[in-house]
Amino acid sequence: MNAPQSHRATLLSESAELLSQQAFAGDQMVMRLAASRIAERALPGQFVHVDCGQPMMLRRPLSLMRVDQKQGWVELLYKKVGAGTRLLAERQPGETVSLLGPVGNSFQLHEELSRPLLLGGGVGMPPMLFMASNLRRLKGFKPQVLLASEVPFPFTPEPSSIMIDGMPSSVIATMPLLDDWGVPARLASNQGFPGCFDGFITDLARQWLASLVADERSKVEIFACGPTPMLRAVQELAAEFDLPSQLSVEEYMACAVGGCAGCVVPIRDGDGVAMKRVCVDGPVFAGEQIIF
Amino acid sequence: MVDQQTEEGSLAVDFCGIRLNNPLVLLSGCVGFGEEYTRVEGFSNRDVGAICLKGTTLEPRLGNPLHRVYETPAGMLNAIGLQNPGVDHVVRKILPTLDFSETRFFANACGATVDEYVDVVRRFDDSPVDAIELNISCPNVKAGGAAFGNDPEMSARVVEACRAVTSKPLITKLSPNQTDIAENARRCIDAGTDAFAAINTLMGMAVDVAARKPVLGNGQGGLSGPAIKPVALLKVHQVYQVCQQRGIPIIGQGGVSSGADAVEFMLAGAALVGVGTALFYDPLVCLAIADHLEQYRLQISAEGAADWVGKLGAA
Ligand SMILES: Cc1cc2nc3c(=O)[nH]c(=O)nc-3n(C[C@H](O)[C@H](O)[C@H](O)COP(=O)(O)OP(=O)(O)OC[C@H]3O[C@@H](n4cnc5c(N)ncnc54)[C@H](O)[C@@H]3O)c2cc1C
Ligand SMILES: Cc1cc2nc3c(=O)[nH]c(=O)nc-3n(C[C@H](O)[C@H](O)[C@H](O)COP(=O)(O)O)c2cc1C
Ligand code: FES
Repeated sequence: MNAPQSHRATLLSESAELLSQQAFAGDQMVMRLAASRIAERALPGQFVHVDCGQPMMLRRPLSLMRVDQKQGWVELLYKKVGAGTRLLAERQPGETVSLLGPVGNSFQLHEELSRPLLLGGGVGMPPMLFMASNLRRLKGFKPQVLLASEVPFPFTPEPSSIMIDGMPSSVIATMPLLDDWGVPARLASNQGFPGCFDGFITDLARQWLASLVADERSKVEIFACGPTPMLRAVQELAAEFDLPSQLSVEEYMACAVGGCAGCVVPIRDGDGVAMKRVCVDGPVFAGEQIIF
Repeated sequence: MVDQQTEEGSLAVDFCGIRLNNPLVLLSGCVGFGEEYTRVEGFSNRDVGAICLKGTTLEPRLGNPLHRVYETPAGMLNAIGLQNPGVDHVVRKILPTLDFSETRFFANACGATVDEYVDVVRRFDDSPVDAIELNISCPNVKAGGAAFGNDPEMSARVVEACRAVTSKPLITKLSPNQTDIAENARRCIDAGTDAFAAINTLMGMAVDVAARKPVLGNGQGGLSGPAIKPVALLKVHQVYQVCQQRGIPIIGQGGVSSGADAVEFMLAGAALVGVGTALFYDPLVCLAIADHLEQYRLQISAEGAADWVGKLGAA
């Protein structure tokens, strides 16, 4: 299986006009920026290195959630967790935000693995939505998306009009946009949100995987982005069903250009360990190679 | 601005007998092994005078545990721990891929013992690098590094031993974490250094209150960025007092993030100006700095970028 490769393409520094910024419950923000050149080149899994404004010295990495190449915008979903993201949330439409990107490698689809299972947790949802929006146009793939959140979702969940075999009958909520795209999706949370699976996303994924006949299941490849405990559970899930997986990981960054070796994570390399840079060699790594 | 049409721009300078495009140097540890920033659209290695490669040891090193970088007020802490593939890999696999027609490349040699410095320098001596920087001031490794750099006697021993095995220009990178940087510089000149780099990072730490642990996996790290600029300026100025009569140039560094900063360092005595942390915020910052230097040159009617080095009047 081709593991995700390092990415060494051109990085663009774009002064992007902030088009809109919307606040959601749980300190979540959705920001849309005019960045046509980054939009043109972006791939699912890639991120932008965002200048949150003075007096921050370092940029903050945020995944690309949606890109519209025709209209030339990119959209980010982020959570206010500290000084940088709080500062970013104060930026107003019409202001300019400096972006560096698109940074990093991307999730790689494999034709023979025609049933991609996309798992997005919290602010790990963006790359999965980006990937789903591409998959809706790709013939030959039958994707399944699962999203999870422990704060209210940054959209209004609605009952899905797409039936999915193997889902518990009470699990009916989806993200309306995915329904519009014709991409089957369901939601999970431990907060008892109506229509959502009551439990962890990996438990819902396990039920769905177990419901597939062996031949179908062998066509599944798992793609995931989310908090570390979730990714660890996804790694176990993939091992349990002997399925390939690609996981997007996070680490503190300085340059995002590959220059500082600040953002490394330990990755299995033959019998040993290599410290790989999340900004060049990642953020997507083959699941079984990641050492949590 | 460096004029691409003519052979040489108006900011070209001499450094230890080497001709540089301009006085700007990309600093060790901030730009990998020299090619990473060429991926940034609008930046070319021609835009700087020289590039210092990542600190290199005899054997490969995995570096420190996570986290390795952390923002602090007007700066950042790093504790990379000299992650590098070892000098043989650098010389055999990486140097052949660099385009030496665009800029000058300086190696950055590190070791845990005097012998290791010598072995690393010997291998770089037999390579195309234009100069060798002795990093006797890395705060992020247990042995060697700053342990040498903070002691004038040990610093001089490293310089002397390395001097014996290379004819390439030797640049000694000084630590700010010592009592008398000028005395150290004096000893290193006597031991045979051709130039200095000042300063390396200041030692610092950050605390994760929730976890009651240091944020950095290494516990402590090196502080860089605008926060250290005043310290760096003073140290450059102090080292310059020793270097002036001996004709030893200094690569001034520590928090440079604008053209005005670069002019300040040059007035304080820096022949070249290094840029590291500022790249993380603005990867194109060197273009703006070079523009500013050219404007300054015209404004004071100077012939070249060496004209205002050390031209600081008394307070
Ligand atoms: C490739 C990648 C993609 C990401 N995509 C998203 C996204 O789409 N939406 C989103 O909300 N968050 C995302 N993150 C996490 C996001 O970068 C951090 O939440 C953010 O940097 C926090 O900055 P702060 O100043 O608000 O927080 P603080 O905690 O004050 O930050 C302090 C320092 O730690 C770093 N830091 C803290 N948490 C993280 C983290 N989880 N990952 C990396 N660095 C961190 C910061 O960059 C900063 O240098 C992503 C991280 C990476 C590496
Ligand atoms: C992430 C990082 C890694 C560094 N690694 C090295 C190194 O390997 N060798 C070295 O001599 N200096 C290293 N330094 C120090 C820089 O070269 C420079 O001296 C210092 O950061 C001050 O300049 P600045 O404020 O412009 O960054 C490193 C600095 C940073 C921020
Ligand atoms: S953030 Fe500098 S190498 Fe990745």
